[in-house]
Amino acid sequence: MTEEIVTINNLQKRYGGKTVLNGVSFTVKRGEIIGYIGPNGAGKSTTVKIMLGIEDDFSGEVTIFGQDISDGDMEYKRKIGYVPEIAEVYDNLTGHEYLTFIGELYGLDFELADYKAKSLMELFGVGEVYYSRIASYSKGMRQKLLIISSLLHNPELLFFDEPINGLDANSVMIFKEIMTQLAAQGKTIFYSSHIMDVVEKISSRIILLHEGKIAADGTFNQLKAQNTEGSLEQIFNQLTGFSEHKELGARFVSIVGEM
Amino acid sequence: MQDFRTLKLLDRFEKVFSTFGIDYKIMRKILQVKLMMDRRRVPTIFTQNAKKNQEEDKNQYIKSLWIYVLFGLFMVPFMLMGENYLFQMSLFFGIFTFFVMTSMISDFSSVLLDIRDRNILFPKPVDRKSISAAKAVHIFIYISFLTIALVTIPLLVGLVIHGPLFLLVTIFNIILIDIFVVVLTALIYMFVLKFFDGEKLKDIINYVQIGLSLAIMVGYQLLVRSFEFIDLTVALEPRWWQGFIFPMWYGANIELVMNGHLVPFYVSLSLLGILIPLISIWLYTRLLPAFEQNLQKLSYHGKAKVKKRSKLGGAILTFICTSNEEKAFFRFASLMMKNERDFKLKVYPSLGFSIVIPFIFIMNGFNTDLSNLSTSKSYLTIYFSLIIIPTVMVMLKYSGKYKGAWIYKVTPIKQLKPMFSGTIKAFLVKLFFPLYILLSLIMIALFGVRILPDLITVFINACTYCVICFMILNKSIPFSASFDTANQNSNSGILFMLMLFVPVFAGLHFVSTLIPFGSFIYLLVAFIVLLIVWKPAFNLTWEKISD
Repeated sequence: MTEEIVTINNLQKRYGGKTVLNGVSFTVKRGEIIGYIGPNGAGKSTTVKIMLGIEDDFSGEVTIFGQDISDGDMEYKRKIGYVPEIAEVYDNLTGHEYLTFIGELYGLDFELADYKAKSLMELFGVGEVYYSRIASYSKGMRQKLLIISSLLHNPELLFFDEPINGLDANSVMIFKEIMTQLAAQGKTIFYSSHIMDVVEKISSRIILLHEGKIAADGTFNQLKAQNTEGSLEQIFNQLTGFSEHKELGARFVSIVGEM
Repeated sequence: MQDFRTLKLLDRFEKVFSTFGIDYKIMRKILQVKLMMDRRRVPTIFTQNAKKNQEEDKNQYIKSLWIYVLFGLFMVPFMLMGENYLFQMSLFFGIFTFFVMTSMISDFSSVLLDIRDRNILFPKPVDRKSISAAKAVHIFIYISFLTIALVTIPLLVGLVIHGPLFLLVTIFNIILIDIFVVVLTALIYMFVLKFFDGEKLKDIINYVQIGLSLAIMVGYQLLVRSFEFIDLTVALEPRWWQGFIFPMWYGANIELVMNGHLVPFYVSLSLLGILIPLISIWLYTRLLPAFEQNLQKLSYHGKAKVKKRSKLGGAILTFICTSNEEKAFFRFASLMMKNERDFKLKVYPSLGFSIVIPFIFIMNGFNTDLSNLSTSKSYLTIYFSLIIIPTVMVMLKYSGKYKGAWIYKVTPIKQLKPMFSGTIKAFLVKLFFPLYILLSLIMIALFGVRILPDLITVFINACTYCVICFMILNKSIPFSASFDTANQNSNSGILFMLMLFVPVFAGLHFVSTLIPFGSFIYLLVAFIVLLIVWKPAFNLTWEKISD
């Protein structure tokens, strides 16, 4: 079954006079894990925010689950989960209070949301802080809370923006396994990150955004065939036209040495 | 970086610090940074109506001191009262202690409890002694400003009336009290941190801040009345428990010096006044390492207790809220109002004020004779408690954690009705209702059970008033804006207009009491009006929301 989950057509977005997205188009099919990468400020988070309805005032067409998102109907959001890059939460609440509230916003029953949240927190090894205020959480705990809050309502489409930020190696392994299993169930995942080797391993398809445009789109093997370089990191450098790291590094160190 | 006059003054004592083995240059650098950070901090007293001021060069804290100068005036009557030193000076020192202590807790806890020092300064090649010295000097600078602002005027009055000896003894006492207050605050924190975690301590500090703001709001009202105390003469009988009221220690030593009452009671109280601060300093230095250890708890998470949701609470919730979404927002808004410290600091003092203000008016109305109170219609002053509703309704859109509001956009919220009605119901039920019950009980005690129907009517009117405020004010998503933007687009015009509704409600109510069964008719009418306005008020779409 090749169902189109997301279709973006000639998406453009400007902040003041600055063009952030300059004609982005792609289609995402059910069950794909998209590695969405690009240099800082390339417009990755903006694309995701537009798809979630956090940012509006764009031009172009965005269709999710076959519904044009600018028609004002919120229904499509019911099947979306989102982990934002910067973890802003109402951290004066406890994990229990926050997660049940989010669950209820997605239409879950309080008891079900509570049961799911508690079980997931326990499985993620943070069950003991379920009833503590989020303000007291460590970075990893917050990240786990956000991941859980994005999955409570069993969404079809997931947006993960640097989701493993602050997680320890073991939790990263659990998370990768979760993603693989979700994708096997036919869930679609949109994965933004700067950690290239993780993207290289988990993605079934990679979209590279550079200066508001798509610079590359395809599986890792396709990208490798098109480019001379070996790893995704090197392909990334090549496609974004960056080759001065040696020189910049040397200059940096030489200034450090000055006394 | 700019230089501070305070630090230049401090430079003269460089040698003193050096002889104690303190790296003065480093200490000065640390202090400079700390003083600069203080400038960017708005003191609690100002948060009521402060907007973020962009001119950084003016120390917000120094500017807040004029309020303390004003409260210094509050203490002048105790200087004028006569020569009953034990009584009047105990009160004087008591009030002084109250202001120093509350201000210490609300504005300077951040210095005492700074764990950033540990993380930022400890890894650097700076010796601990200089860091502790910087902390101590920082507190010393702060508390001297505060003390000077508070007592200069009363002391000058004291000098004129009681002479130079009085001045000297009082200054000596004030220094001892300052020391004792600093150490006592630190000891209290130690005690709290020993048994609770950091969140609890932050809650306690928050409540002290709320109390201080409230005390200052009420203080304004009572300032004038304090002069009525002047004629009061009270003879104090010595009692053993007076040894625990430490302002009395200092009242006693003034009595001792000025009136020469060399009785054992005064002598022992005076001795306590000198010994206890010294002992507490010794205790503090002994406990300081343990304190630093416990400070780490501020960043720990305690293992929290599971809160069971009560059956009754659930039943009430189902009664109040119709849909599940509304219930979710009701619960969320209640938690935010209960837990969010910035919100509490901004809103709770005015809530407390709403309890006090009806009684201020009753007291003004019956200055001399309270006998015909129970038959009067003064209970209608309860309407004054409604004037805080517009302010709180405006405040509902703010939160210290406003950045968490992205969830509203991400989740599939189709109808806005449950969001707003749930939040407003939460305000009415969780914040306003308990206050109103308390107020009503006092009113019933004063005026008798006969006013019960009137009280119900007033509450229904309060609900209607809430809805009216909501309809007129700009609609914003609850808890989604920063407090920093709170005063930028001034609401005061609309707020004032909204407050005019209160006399209308009260006027109609007064008229209704003039006709037989009028109270009951008004009750019925108020209820019907509420039913009519409630439903359509919340039918909103996303377009009507102003960001």
